[in-house]
Amino acid sequence: MSGDTRFHVHHDAPIQVGRRERLGVRLLIVADGAFVFGMIFSYFYLRNLNANNGWIPEGGHTLSAMSGWVSVFPLIIAAITHRIAMKSGNAFKNIAPITFVVLLVGLYLQWKQLAHMPFQVDGEAEGEKIFGFEGAYASSWVLIAGANMFHYILGAFVALGVALRSRRNDLNAVLEFWRQRTVGSWLTWIAISGIACAITTSII
Amino acid sequence: MTTLDHHASVRPVPNPSKSLITKLNMGTGLVVGVIFALATYYGLGGDSAGVFENYNRTLLATMFMWSIGFMVGIGAFIGPFRWLVGKDLTDEEQLYLAGDGQGIKRYFKYCTDHKVVGIQYMVGVMALLGVGGTMAMMIRTNLIQPGSKFVGPTIYNSLVGLHGITMIIAMIIVVTGPFGNFIMPIMIGAADMAFPRLNALSWWVLFTAIPVLCSAWFLGGIPTGWTAYAPLSIQAGPGMNAFIATIIIFAVSTAVAGANITATVVAMRAKGMKWNRVPIFVVGATMSVALAIPAFPTFMVSMIMTGLDRSYATTFFDANLGGSGWLYAHLFWIMGHPEVYVILIPGVAVLMEIAPVFVRKPLFSYNAAIAGFAGITGLSILVWAHHMYMSGWMPMLNGPFMVTTEMISVPTGLIFLVILGTLWRGRPWMKLPMLGVYAFLWNFLIGGITGLYLSDVPADNYLHGSMYVTAHFHYTLMGAALTGALAGLAYWFPKMTGRMLNERAGYISFWLVQIGFQVLFLGMFIAGAEGQPRRVADYSVNFATSDLISSIGAYMIGLGMIVLLWAVIHSWRHGKIAPMNPWGSKTLEWTVPYPVPLVNFDTPPVVTSDPYGYGKAGN
Repeated sequence: MSGDTRFHVHHDAPIQVGRRERLGVRLLIVADGAFVFGMIFSYFYLRNLNANNGWIPEGGHTLSAMSGWVSVFPLIIAAITHRIAMKSGNAFKNIAPITFVVLLVGLYLQWKQLAHMPFQVDGEAEGEKIFGFEGAYASSWVLIAGANMFHYILGAFVALGVALRSRRNDLNAVLEFWRQRTVGSWLTWIAISGIACAITTSII
Repeated sequence: MTTLDHHASVRPVPNPSKSLITKLNMGTGLVVGVIFALATYYGLGGDSAGVFENYNRTLLATMFMWSIGFMVGIGAFIGPFRWLVGKDLTDEEQLYLAGDGQGIKRYFKYCTDHKVVGIQYMVGVMALLGVGGTMAMMIRTNLIQPGSKFVGPTIYNSLVGLHGITMIIAMIIVVTGPFGNFIMPIMIGAADMAFPRLNALSWWVLFTAIPVLCSAWFLGGIPTGWTAYAPLSIQAGPGMNAFIATIIIFAVSTAVAGANITATVVAMRAKGMKWNRVPIFVVGATMSVALAIPAFPTFMVSMIMTGLDRSYATTFFDANLGGSGWLYAHLFWIMGHPEVYVILIPGVAVLMEIAPVFVRKPLFSYNAAIAGFAGITGLSILVWAHHMYMSGWMPMLNGPFMVTTEMISVPTGLIFLVILGTLWRGRPWMKLPMLGVYAFLWNFLIGGITGLYLSDVPADNYLHGSMYVTAHFHYTLMGAALTGALAGLAYWFPKMTGRMLNERAGYISFWLVQIGFQVLFLGMFIAGAEGQPRRVADYSVNFATSDLISSIGAYMIGLGMIVLLWAVIHSWRHGKIAPMNPWGSKTLEWTVPYPVPLVNFDTPPVVTSDPYGYGKAGN
């Protein structure tokens, strides 16, 4: 076991810490990218296999190609506003909250889509309400929308973080700058992921 | 942010003992976790009047909320929350989180010291191996003779599945958990891991998965084997939810640990430690976790789909409604085959680290070793469908997948040659860690060559689903990777505990395990080649002799492991005090004293030579 020796203060340079944090986030983006790849792969696999004509069963519903894009636009806008905020110097603290609000709007839109999707099949068993989904298209759509919602939640968390931090901390501090860049990496990634998912769901 | 890093806002807390951080520990985690779990279970309607989907939904939500609740209760979210509101943890609070001056209590807290996390992983791995090994003994006891009624077929199926997944989890973390956390940062001259809080997170998240997996026993078990193929897993009872939740939680832990270890090695090496001076163990561990980063999320996708099919009646794997069992097999094996190398590479890397030290020669062709690891890592993502030859999916692609699978024996051969070249004309110092190198060469030769038969489509047609397959992958995963891990334990035990591992007990354990291993799995090869199917509770009398021999071998392994456990516990408490560098090794971890200081090095080290320069002028 390691010992209880006294602590030596030994601080790394903020630029080193910032680069390290960005690398860590990029590696997590790789993991998330594999997850997104898995969803998109599944979508096209099931679509092309169309087992028992069950991709969209007879009488089944579809959403318009545009529907996936509606909830992606806020992701794109958020990534852009964050970038603008970073270039705006001391105005960062005024623009950063906009990123957060845009992501909240997107989160609401995505939740609304999920709550009002047309392919639910309601039923009842043992006196309990149950529901299911019409087919593989509906299932894949729900999974992608759910992942998008998860991205929104994480995006809103980090956007709120940089907005709040910009009011408390020295914006010109090297580490704060690197954190904004790191958050920018995440926001850019979720926008790219959202676009990839929207392209996917456009191909019905 | 490391424990030692400077923060933009340093607001010292006059009395850190008043901080919430100091009040939280494993106990508060358990309490909050149970409260969250119970509230979720009863909030969602308990067993939901027995409706399949609703009950599954309730159980899955309960398991995830247990995990989240535990993490809240142990204080995992304090750091992110403080980041959110712009009040970063102060130096004093970070020092407290690092476990400074807290003695044994820090092992039960959200401690960020990488050495504490390493020990936590080591104890956790030993517990998992113990549970998984006990299940293996029960399986072999049931197979000791045909018609045995030791356990019924249902329990047998669950035993096989739970043994499989428990051991897979244990083997994935068996090297990168204890040694990747405790030893690796010191080995590269770093003061800490790149993200100490994420380091603690990876362990405690994994910890929350253990009771979830154990709950499968009380929910009817998992009758699907560890592969959990759909649609079997969709129709399985409530215990399957425990499997799903475990894998999802474990995948989160793995991604976080993988990013942390990779970032540490890339960004925190000591001055002068160029890439060609990085110890081979570090290279192997990094390639392994870097491979895990993209591999495990696809498994996570498949588990989320399985959970959705079971609890929301989606149709990902229901062929009547456009789903496909093949989709599951793809997602599973796109992870599943790289996972073999995620397990194997660190174990082999440990042995490559050990061999030069004990023959006092440089590692033979360091570059070939790197090429071997890189080749295996790269090819491992192109071979998954060899697990699906007999599934009926795309027979026209069997040939290409056979070629890629057989190609992987080339970089594997390089690894072999590197170890053989290192041993060649050396005068080995036959201490306990070194025995593992020889055991590996024997076991992995058998595991590798028998794998070639399985990669061959016509041969696989006959051998698929037989005990031959079981024997083959045990030769690679246990015979090679676990042998490497146990050699690593003997090698680094002095640095981790300050004491030498009891050598006599170690030798007894080694020979019992290795001889038992050959008896068990060579017997299983024979039974498999004769046609005994795997995952079946009973068998024909034709296989009685082979199975009896195998069971005797299993008991020898069990006995050997008990001896090892005794040796570890006894040596940890009463063993001979270890010198700072008992093996005369040249890597950095042996330059620090025991107990290892909190920041590892008083002065950041500067590396001026390669770590294997034994016998060279100037070294």
